[in-house]
Amino acid sequence: MLGYFVRRLIMLLPVFLAMSAIVFLIVHLVPGDPIDHMLQIGASAERRQELAAKFGLDRPLVVQYALWLKAALTGDLGEAIILKQPVVDLILANLPYSLALGLSALLFSTVVGVSVGAAAAYFAGSWFDRVVMAGILMGSMLPSFWLGLLMILIFAVELGLFPVSGARSWDALVLPVLTVGIGGVALIARVTRAAFVEVAQQDFVTLLHAKGLTRRRIFFRHLVRHALMPVVTILGLKVGWILGGAVTVEYVFARPGLGSLLITSLGQRDYPVVQGCLLMLGMGVMLGTLVGDLAQAAMDPRVRDRMS
Amino acid sequence: MAIGTALLSAARTPRGAPAAIVLVGVVFAAIFADRLAPYAYDMQSLMQANLPPSAAHLLGTDEFGRDLFSRILHGARISLGVAVTSIGASVALGLVFGAIAGYAGGWADRLLMAVVDLTWAFPEILIALVLIAILGPGLGSTAVAITVGYMAQFARLARAQIIALKGETYIEATVGLGAGHAHILLRHLVPNALTPVLVAGMLATGDAIVLEATLGYFGLGAQPPLPSWGAMMSAGVGQMFLAPWVIVFPGLAIAITVVAINLYGDALIDALQIRNRLREG
Amino acid sequence: MTLPFRVTVLSAAALLGAVVSAPAQEVTFAITAREVGTPSYNPITATRLNSANSLIYDRLVLQDADQSFHPSLAASWDQTPDGMQWTFKLRPGVKFHDGEPFNAKVIEWWVPKFAGTENADTVAKVDRVEVVDDLTVRFHMKAPDPNLLFNLASSFMGIPSPKAYEALGDKYGVTAAVGTGPFKMEKFTVGQQTVLVRNDDFTWGSDLSVNRGPAKIKKITVREIPEDSTAFLELQTGGVDLLYTVPVDFMPRLKAEKSVKVMTIPGTEIVYMPINTQSAPFTDIKVRAAAAYAIDQKSIWQSLYGGVGNTANGFLISSLQEAKVDPKFAISYDPERSKKLLDEAGWKVGPDGIRAKDGARLQVKLWTSNGTEFKRLVEVVQSQLKAVGFAADITIFDASTINAQYKKKTEHQLAVRSYSWTNADIIDWFFAARRAGYPNVSLFDDPKAEELNVTAMTKSRTWDERVANFKAYHEYILSQYAFAPIYEPANVFAYSTRRLKLPETIRGTRLTSQTILDAQVSN
Repeated sequence: MLGYFVRRLIMLLPVFLAMSAIVFLIVHLVPGDPIDHMLQIGASAERRQELAAKFGLDRPLVVQYALWLKAALTGDLGEAIILKQPVVDLILANLPYSLALGLSALLFSTVVGVSVGAAAAYFAGSWFDRVVMAGILMGSMLPSFWLGLLMILIFAVELGLFPVSGARSWDALVLPVLTVGIGGVALIARVTRAAFVEVAQQDFVTLLHAKGLTRRRIFFRHLVRHALMPVVTILGLKVGWILGGAVTVEYVFARPGLGSLLITSLGQRDYPVVQGCLLMLGMGVMLGTLVGDLAQAAMDPRVRDRMS
Repeated sequence: MAIGTALLSAARTPRGAPAAIVLVGVVFAAIFADRLAPYAYDMQSLMQANLPPSAAHLLGTDEFGRDLFSRILHGARISLGVAVTSIGASVALGLVFGAIAGYAGGWADRLLMAVVDLTWAFPEILIALVLIAILGPGLGSTAVAITVGYMAQFARLARAQIIALKGETYIEATVGLGAGHAHILLRHLVPNALTPVLVAGMLATGDAIVLEATLGYFGLGAQPPLPSWGAMMSAGVGQMFLAPWVIVFPGLAIAITVVAINLYGDALIDALQIRNRLREG
Repeated sequence: MTLPFRVTVLSAAALLGAVVSAPAQEVTFAITAREVGTPSYNPITATRLNSANSLIYDRLVLQDADQSFHPSLAASWDQTPDGMQWTFKLRPGVKFHDGEPFNAKVIEWWVPKFAGTENADTVAKVDRVEVVDDLTVRFHMKAPDPNLLFNLASSFMGIPSPKAYEALGDKYGVTAAVGTGPFKMEKFTVGQQTVLVRNDDFTWGSDLSVNRGPAKIKKITVREIPEDSTAFLELQTGGVDLLYTVPVDFMPRLKAEKSVKVMTIPGTEIVYMPINTQSAPFTDIKVRAAAAYAIDQKSIWQSLYGGVGNTANGFLISSLQEAKVDPKFAISYDPERSKKLLDEAGWKVGPDGIRAKDGARLQVKLWTSNGTEFKRLVEVVQSQLKAVGFAADITIFDASTINAQYKKKTEHQLAVRSYSWTNADIIDWFFAARRAGYPNVSLFDDPKAEELNVTAMTKSRTWDERVANFKAYHEYILSQYAFAPIYEPANVFAYSTRRLKLPETIRGTRLTSQTILDAQVSN
């Protein structure tokens, strides 16, 4: 188990290198550069060069990349060109907002998704199953900016229950969490329902029925444990979604977060910030996948055996 | 079961039937939009802006006095067109990567999948926003962004299918008979791996429609006056209090289409009995 | 959502609501859209500044809505008849937020700081600053500058504390900003908010305010809200007390709100369509004129902007004297003239209504940058161009990309854009040959125009001469159809009457500190 974990960690290193190279290249491919934002319209070419030299942007890309990578390996993501602060500080300042939104949305969609999925599986084939699953599907398929605006209209404007936007008090979190979470609810409910239905058809369940256990007892005592496996895997894969997938929702609700930091900086071509955010997100997802796999291993001896 | 038969039998299930009808209707609207639409999609009449639904304008008019019904019909063509084209490309690329990786194994597999997984690591919306920043806004770059954003899942799925099939006895027998790699891959493995990937692609088309809408909201998708459903909703945000129909109808068009795609896809999975194979990716 | 969860959420929200309700005299303002993401409060080096900037810094001179100049940090001023020396008497007893005194030494330090920055033009004609006594400075000019007072009144001329400025270097304006204004910057989170607290020592209000002492508002949080509709809803629900810019779309709704007051002050902005004079078919002046006469300013003003603001028929805002050109140069909608010009230029109407010449269709590129207002406008412009036979393909870029594209000089043809400036020298900015590409998006390069430019920019000795020279330059640019005027927006802002009371008349060219000084807070 430990050996497996260490091996997986070592395998992350080449991934990190490849990711950093691609992130760096992609960011520099975007037309325009941060100097445009520091100059008054119509500034002279000399002035441009002077500034480019100041931020090392006049060096060959390979050199810029090597310098950035070297610093990044020691945890230093450089200094923002436009925002004039260490990138690490900027990320740390925004991370709590992303985590608050992402984790609450994850919690919300897991709790609601598993409950609804399990209920639908319990009543599989009934009208309840169909109506609930179709309703959730429909909700999750609406574009989130649209859903967000609708939520604001209903809950903030008409009912006055929550603030329209911002992140100044905790109740400002509720509407964004609902907006982000509903997509997760549908996904998790579907996975849960399918897992329950499938496990229910397996031999051991038939055996339990034969032994005379009630349906309710089988459901809660035996099915739940088996059916939650795929849910855990899905959750591991959702780390990127927690950290950066809420860009649209952050925009609609004018919330701080890694997504908005990334979009603002992309707009201003603040290279170090964009690179830092993308690298963070990418590595976060890789680690999330790893943790998801390990959690699955811990729960399922069959997977554990395969790993050793 | 052959995919053609499965398509029909899925359309006969209680879940699949209404979904199939909706989908046929949307495709019909997309193909014949110019004949069905009562007005040209870009015909403005500023004096008739933001009119509520009426006999003359079934779904009302937008801020430029354009007929919403006509724009939604044309929007079907663009939204569906972009989603289907880009997911088609994404499936094709995913199949190529996945098949080669799965068949070759070893370092080729690891290298290819590492590349694929790099895109898997980021939420589709971020990939799309960055790619469009590079390519410039428009339908073409939206299609590229969607293609790249979704490719990883098809590659992973295709690879898993190929690996599973590779171990089957009949393939080993074919190898024993001295068949070439290309022959095995193209004649035996890919055709058998195709069905689950295609079905996954169909389901992803729904997501692609939503992604296109979101990009439209940021002003990056179809350029005006082309009416993609997303672009229509994005333009409608400013009007949502004065003329809610401007944003409600395109939203409904998206929701209904996407739900129909998902329900029908679900029915199809059951008809083909490939639910397990889909999960292997 | 399950019911118990919802109940918990609601009761927790109610609880929090009771705790965090804003204490008296603290208000929240919001800036939106284009002001969002302004990276710094360093007026010397910034290329853009947001509305909160005027609350932190004072300037030497202020300009009122009628274009007249009023004392602020300069108590009085005087110029020699040849325009080569300006003497400013400074207001006594002024202190920076960090306790440093404001005096002649500060000005001596401040003016040279502009050299080499993006705002160098504002004081470029000042040769040196002489300290006459502690509260008197004299500017020795390289050449007369009739525009000096206007420059000194611009938002980039807020005076920072030399001590803080030198100590912070590059980070000045980001981590701290120290001025003499009625509010001190407590915390700035770029893209999110700026927290300002009252400067209790402030006693140097200008004559544009009734209140010359400390502000009545104790604390202002200036939030940045990117999405217009979100900002509007915040104002409607009381989350925000003042909105610096209200999108015209929302005006009817806001006017219907009893507790919201919408105020309109004369605009500082012109929306126009530059025409790339070096890209065929626009190398032909007849085609340029045809495009310009195809724009229906009046119907845009009425339908898109609900009759708020003015139609534009020239390049300058209507409050400037140089805007009053001879009517024969003013450009306004004339579709018949447009069609006739295209016929004369050899472009004949094809079967689909689009014109063609020698087998080539009249297909042109029409660009704009991201932002709701431009997206709406560009669609109407496209449709109006189509009505006379142009097929225009729209592309919407983000602001960084579009400027990079303009600089390539060969890619663009027509664009919809706007500028905000209250001086005629903006014509030099956008049409001088040496700035071709960007900002001279029209790539306008014409010997006669260059001659008029030199006269207007460097040969004017007095204000009246300058007006006459710039008017002639303006008229010539119009006659060459280097652009098409579209619309002159008004500055519209709105505030909640439940929380704020602002003076009936807004002094100054924008909503700035002199108005906020007079603002009363109610609870």
